[in-house]
Amino acid sequence: MREFLLRLQQHAKEKHAPHAYFGALGGAGFLVLSIIFIVGGFELGVGSPRRLGTGAFPVITGFILALLSMGVIAADLRDTTDAEKPDWISFVAIGGALAVFALTVGRIGLVPGIFLTTITASLPDPSLRFPGKLGLAALVSLACWGLFIGLIGLPFDAFMRLN
Amino acid sequence: MKHLLALGAASLLFAAPAYADPGKWTDEPVRIVVTFPPGGTSDLIARVLAQYFESEFGQKAVVDNRPGAGGTVSADFVADQDPDGTTLILGNNAPFTIAPTQFEDLPYDPMGDFTHIAYLGASTPALFVQPSSGITSLEGYIERANTDGITYGSSGVGSITHILGQAVDVSLGIEQIHVPYQGSAPAIQDFRAGVLEAYYDMVALNGDLITEGETQPIALASPERSPLFPEIPTFRELGHDIVIENWTGVSGPAGMDPEMVQTIHDTIEAIMQMEPVIEQLAKFGIAHTEMSSEEFTSFVDGTITTWAPLIKAANVNGG
Amino acid sequence: MDILYSFGNGLLVALEPANLLYCFVGVFLGTFIGVLPGIGSMAAISMILPLTFYLEPTSALVMIAGVYYGAEYGGSIASILMNIPGTPSSSITCIDGYPMARDGRAGIALFASAIASFGGGIMGMIVMAILAPALAQLALNFGPTEYFAVILLGLVAASAVSNGSPIKGIAMVAAGLMFGTVGVDITTGAERFTMGVPELRDGVHLVIVAMGLFGVGELIVSIRANAKGEHDNEIDYANFYPSKAEWKAMVAPIFRGSGIGSFFGALPGTGQTVASAVAYAIEKKVSPNRAKFGKGAIEGVAVPEAANNSATQTAFIPTLTLGVPGSASMALVIGALMMYGIVPGPRLLVDHADLFWGLVASFLIGNVLLLILNIPLIGLWVKLLKIPYRYMYPTIIVLICVGVYSLNNNVFDVWLTLVFGWAGYLMRLFRFEPAPFLIGFVLGPMMEEQLRRAMLLSRGDATVFLTRPISGTLIVITALLLVYAFYSAMRQRRAGQNSPSTPEA
Repeated sequence: MREFLLRLQQHAKEKHAPHAYFGALGGAGFLVLSIIFIVGGFELGVGSPRRLGTGAFPVITGFILALLSMGVIAADLRDTTDAEKPDWISFVAIGGALAVFALTVGRIGLVPGIFLTTITASLPDPSLRFPGKLGLAALVSLACWGLFIGLIGLPFDAFMRLN
Repeated sequence: MKHLLALGAASLLFAAPAYADPGKWTDEPVRIVVTFPPGGTSDLIARVLAQYFESEFGQKAVVDNRPGAGGTVSADFVADQDPDGTTLILGNNAPFTIAPTQFEDLPYDPMGDFTHIAYLGASTPALFVQPSSGITSLEGYIERANTDGITYGSSGVGSITHILGQAVDVSLGIEQIHVPYQGSAPAIQDFRAGVLEAYYDMVALNGDLITEGETQPIALASPERSPLFPEIPTFRELGHDIVIENWTGVSGPAGMDPEMVQTIHDTIEAIMQMEPVIEQLAKFGIAHTEMSSEEFTSFVDGTITTWAPLIKAANVNGG
Repeated sequence: MDILYSFGNGLLVALEPANLLYCFVGVFLGTFIGVLPGIGSMAAISMILPLTFYLEPTSALVMIAGVYYGAEYGGSIASILMNIPGTPSSSITCIDGYPMARDGRAGIALFASAIASFGGGIMGMIVMAILAPALAQLALNFGPTEYFAVILLGLVAASAVSNGSPIKGIAMVAAGLMFGTVGVDITTGAERFTMGVPELRDGVHLVIVAMGLFGVGELIVSIRANAKGEHDNEIDYANFYPSKAEWKAMVAPIFRGSGIGSFFGALPGTGQTVASAVAYAIEKKVSPNRAKFGKGAIEGVAVPEAANNSATQTAFIPTLTLGVPGSASMALVIGALMMYGIVPGPRLLVDHADLFWGLVASFLIGNVLLLILNIPLIGLWVKLLKIPYRYMYPTIIVLICVGVYSLNNNVFDVWLTLVFGWAGYLMRLFRFEPAPFLIGFVLGPMMEEQLRRAMLLSRGDATVFLTRPISGTLIVITALLLVYAFYSAMRQRRAGQNSPSTPEA
């Protein structure tokens, strides 16, 4: 642990964080999840060997994952390679695009929904100017209208039902 | 309110002659919501209906599969739609008969949130045992269950075959060991591999296995013997009043216009009388009986009450 | 030769102009729909299902089969070009296919996939023709204990698929198993970890996990990389024909993959996933080129595709003779047959011999058509990569949204994809790989079901897994694999410690 902190301090001055930092986070994340499943599994009941209960399999897999994630943490703390630099802007924009689709498709219809989704998704890339984004969104939404509703015949409303 | 009721009753009276005017009831395309993924019997029935709606009556219709949570996802969706005849559900025992007892927090009321329109028909499950077991009668089955124990396969927890197994436990005073599968096909596979002693399944889907001598039907859960398999006795004639059938019908959201309901009912009834449709449904082991919308409504209500104790006994919601 | 005679008859049926046409239409439609992320063979088959009502049973089945493997092939195009697998087996194709595309070798990867699919399909067909009754019997010898053992083997193989540390691979498999338990417990009907959300009662749909972890996760990574121009490799758009050395490298993997695939395909449900995972894991151990696996080895594309496709063919055996559908698409095939009053079962091979052999022969024709159709199209697919990424990625996101939404026509699935997409991106930062997770996720529920059923039937005696011959053998093989994997990992580590000046990567 002390060794790890030292290494963190070392790397704090440099451009990239060491992967050890992320690796430990990932392992810890899985450890937390496995504990949730173990506790939840015991609450559901593990049953007897003959009649394995609802919670038996979550508990078994949870224990295996808990052991493995401790192993992962131990292994990753020794990893001194540079970590990937997270791209939180794209992270938010792509998540936002999915959220926009989910919020709009049932309310204002597939075509306008896709239009807004495309614009949201294209925001983090500065190499496409705003008029270009509009054009792309128009093109994609119209093409999807033709493809999914016209050709494939999926039962979506293209536009909001007017009633 | 009184006026409305009177108006409804009057229009019903005028429309009383059976299938007076089958035909188109809306200019919009109708979506028939199916509680199962594509490919099952239910889906195929919906597709047959949609096809004939359009080809015979010019009523455009599409099938909309919304599987999930024992059909409750579909039913919840339909309950929330406008009652303008553009959304119908191909309902069955899962969301309307079993779910109301199975789930405490059901998001819809199976009676109050729906207009039950037309009954289509039902298929019948039967009890099957290993031919090598030497069991040929219900008495033999009871005896074996009481001495060596019987392990039976069903098509899932809370499925109609599980409820039937439960009803048999109660009615025959035995305790079978229940092994749930996902659908009847894998249960039959394990049965043929010799893993299970018995299973419950729709009799019409087991015709080949019966003729091949791979399986032995013992008793049928319909009120009367099946015309397809007249040699199989019913539970009822063997002295056990077990009638559990897999029914299917068409319903819509609550508050539909009674005249429209009548039109839809008559259109469906007209389709159900057509020769190719009768043949098609016979292949799925479904025989159609006519019911008016009112009869169908009280039928659905009736199944909820009569099945409730069995579903509770089956303890399908865990524990 | 009985089989040759029957097959000849089948060939005559399949070569009737009408059937040939339907086969072509099926393969063509399947490929194009399969390329769309999230819209796989399921959607493709249900789309043409109403059409088949008007056809002869054989024509209908030939067309549906064509759509089915057309869509499988289409799915591998999406895996290679965009890293968006529609099925667990194509997630294995991603492992080497996507790096090849990144290297500017997309055309060669697509070609390898087409050839391997073809080889696997033909091998699967031969096995099906010769061994159909034996394979049907094999499936009947598999009870719950045996299925459990096979799945265990598949999971151990899946953990070996990963490129990174073996412990992370196993951890991802375990995490997949764990997440597979979300939903209604099919043995008791109780809800698990659904937090009261009705949409979670049936668990998370596989396509959502695949689209999220692979598609969305990868997309977030790629935006910045492409904006910086890191991936502007020289792509030789005209060259998709593998070199002589690459041809040679592919032959043995295709044979090994198809052999493994044909065997596992006969086991409904588990077949294709286990086959691809086991075939890839074995290849990664025996291939002379094993060091390049995961970095764009052509063998890594050929092997899972061959295994997957031969398993697809032999999967028709349990579907037709036992009526057990291995997948949702196979359930549709059964549904289509029932429309004609043909109930799948032991009598099908005898009563509907024409149909069975017509279908077998149509596999041959369909695979040839698939090859003829797709080789010229490879150029077109590769050109898709020429479209600047700033236009491509918003389009891909939209396709993912529509594909996921079309599963159940429910926006909840889109929200879940968002969650899995973000998780997929974080997993990339933490250097976890999604493929083992996906395989664990798919096989987990089956494994639990079989385990509990086996324990119930053995009345609580866990030794059945070792005492029953087939499952005992499989478990011993699995144990040996695990021991070997740990042994080689330890040896590597020791070797690493002996040379302390390992340079930082």
